[in-house]
Amino acid sequence: MIEESVSDLAIHGQVVEEFGSSTTSRTWYHYVLLAACVVFAAVSVGFVGSILQKSLPTWLHHPATVITGSGWQSPTGPFGGLAMIVGTLETSLIALVIAVLIGLGTSISIVFFIPRRLRNIVATLVELLAAVPSIVYGLWGYLVLAPWMYKSVDPWLNSWPFARTLFGDPSQQYGPSLLLAAIVLGVMILPTFVAISREVIAVVPQDLIEASLSLGATRWQVIRKVVLPTSRIGLFGATFLALARATGETVAVALIAGGVAKVQFHLLDPGTSIASWIATEFGEAQGNEISALMALGVLLMLLSFSLSLVSRWLVSRQRKVLAKV
Amino acid sequence: MNDLTQLDEPIEIGQSMREEIRRVSHAARARRLLISRIMTSLCALALAIAAVPLVLLLWQLIQRGAPQLTGAFFTKVPATPTLIAPNATGGLSNAIIGSIALNVYAAVMAIPIGVLVGVFLAESTSKFAGALRIIAQTMAGAPSILMGLFAFSFVLQDLHVGFSAIAGSFALAVLMLPVIVLSTEIAVLNVPNTLREAGLALGAKPHKVSLRIVLPSALTGIVTGSILAISRAIGETAPVLLVIGGGYLNSWQPLNPVSALPLSIYENAKSEWPSQRAQVWGAALLLVAFVFVLSLTARIWASRKQRVSN
Repeated sequence: MIEESVSDLAIHGQVVEEFGSSTTSRTWYHYVLLAACVVFAAVSVGFVGSILQKSLPTWLHHPATVITGSGWQSPTGPFGGLAMIVGTLETSLIALVIAVLIGLGTSISIVFFIPRRLRNIVATLVELLAAVPSIVYGLWGYLVLAPWMYKSVDPWLNSWPFARTLFGDPSQQYGPSLLLAAIVLGVMILPTFVAISREVIAVVPQDLIEASLSLGATRWQVIRKVVLPTSRIGLFGATFLALARATGETVAVALIAGGVAKVQFHLLDPGTSIASWIATEFGEAQGNEISALMALGVLLMLLSFSLSLVSRWLVSRQRKVLAKV
Repeated sequence: MNDLTQLDEPIEIGQSMREEIRRVSHAARARRLLISRIMTSLCALALAIAAVPLVLLLWQLIQRGAPQLTGAFFTKVPATPTLIAPNATGGLSNAIIGSIALNVYAAVMAIPIGVLVGVFLAESTSKFAGALRIIAQTMAGAPSILMGLFAFSFVLQDLHVGFSAIAGSFALAVLMLPVIVLSTEIAVLNVPNTLREAGLALGAKPHKVSLRIVLPSALTGIVTGSILAISRAIGETAPVLLVIGGGYLNSWQPLNPVSALPLSIYENAKSEWPSQRAQVWGAALLLVAFVFVLSLTARIWASRKQRVSN
C-alpha cells in the first residue's frame, strides 16, 4: 500500500506518468513525507493498541464485571464500571438536551435576528468561549455554581412533587451532583454546538430563504420549513460533536459530579463518569486496578469512535444535500 | 365556484364571497404571524439564556482572578499555607514554566510530523492517505484522557521514563497531531492549482514545486492551525494529569516532574485553604488569557491572509 502511494502523489504522479518515467517522483522529499505518515500511523496504532494491551488482563478475567458490575473496591476489586457508564450517559444526555434546546435558538437568533455588524463580534465571542479550557468551567461549577445550587436551587427542587424519586434524599446532598455536572457540561458544550450550528445555518442558500419570503411565509415559517430542513443533517453533526465533547469531559466532571461510584438515578445525588473516574482513581491505582481503568478507557474510546463515525457520515451527507441545492 | 358555467352570478354573492375569503385569510395570516412572533421571541430568549452563564463566568473570572495576578504569582513557587500564615500561598511560577515547557516540547514533536502528514494527505489520492485522513479525524475527536492513558502506558510503563515533562508533552503532542494534520491539509488544498501548474510548466521538479511554491503559499494556514492546536493543548488537564507528576519546582528539564496551570487549578480548587482556592482564579484567568491571545492571533493572521489573497 505504501509502495503504491509513492507513485500516487496526486499532481506529481499524474505529470510524471504522462512523461512516462515513474522514477523521478521517488525523490527524498516523498520518502520524508512517507516517513512522517508512517510515524503518524504508528502513533495512532500505538494509541489504540497500547491502551487495549494494558486492559487485556481485565478483559480476560472479568469482562462482564467492567460493564455490568456496580461496585468499585479499590485496591482489590471487583472493579465494576456500570456506575460510570450510567453516569456518563446521564450527564451527557441531559447536557445535550440543555445545549441543543438553547443552542438552536441562539444560532437562529445570531444568524437571522442580530444586526449584521454585531453578528461577527458575537460569532467570534462564541468561538472564543468554545476554546475556554474545560477546567475553567469545572472551577466555576465547583466554586460558584455548586454552593449556589446547594443553598438556593436544591431546596426548591426538593419541594417538587416526586422530588425523592427524581432527585433523591436531601440529607445525602452536599452540592456536587450529577445534575450540576450535567448543567455545567451543558454550558460548556453550548458554545461548541452554537459555533458549528451557526455556520451550518448561515450557509443555507439565500435564494431559498428569499423565495419562501416572497411567497408570503413568515419568518418562523422560513426557519421551520426551509432553514431547519436544509441544515438538518449538519445540525445532527453538530449535536454529535457536542455529545462527543460531553462524554469525554474529564476534569470538570471530576470536580463537580461528586465522585461516588454508585449507579445513581437520583439526579441531585453525587455520581461519576467514565473519564472522570479514570482521572480521580488513577493516582492511587496499582496492578489490576490500572488494568480495569484502562478497560474503562477502552469503553470510552469505543463510545467516542462510534460517535465520530456517525457525525462524519452525517457531515458528508450534508455536503451532498447542499450540493444538490 | 363549483360550476364555471354560472358566469352570470349576481355581483353581491361574489362580493360576499370575496369578503369571506379575505376574512379567513386575514385570520390565518394573523395566526401565522402570532406563531412566528412567539417562536422568534423564544429564539431570542434562548440567546439571552445562553448569554447569562457565559457572561457570568467571564465576569467572575476577571473579578476574582485579576487581584491574584501579583508579582509573586509569577515569580514564586507554591507554598503550603499554615495556621500561622494562612495566606502564604506563594506563587505558581512552577505551573507557568511547566505549561510553557510542556507545550513547547509537544509542539516541537507534533508540528513537523503533522505538517508533513498534512501535505501528504493533500497531495496524495492513495488509499493509504484516505485511511490516514479517517484516523486523523477520529483521533481529533477522542477524549483527551485517553492521551493521558496512552502516555502512561507507553512512556511510563513501557519505556520506563518516570513522571516527567516529556511524558506530558508526548500526550499533548498526540492531542495536537490530528489538529495540525487536518488544518495543514486544508491549507495546502486551498493553494490554487494554477500556481502548481505554473511551477511545473516552468520545469520545476514536483518536490521543488511542493517545497518552494505550495508550502510558502499555505504557510499562513499551517501556522494558524498549529497555533490553534497549541491553544487547545495548553488548556488540557486530563492528558497531563496522569503523567507529569506535579512538581513543585521551576524546571525546564524534560525528564523532571513539572506542574501545569490547568493541573494546579484542578488540584488547588479542592484545597481547604480559602487563600489557595482564591489563588486558583488567578491561574484560571491567566490560562484563559493565554488561550484567547493564541486563538485571536490565529484568527487575525488568517483574516489578514485572506485580505492579501483577495
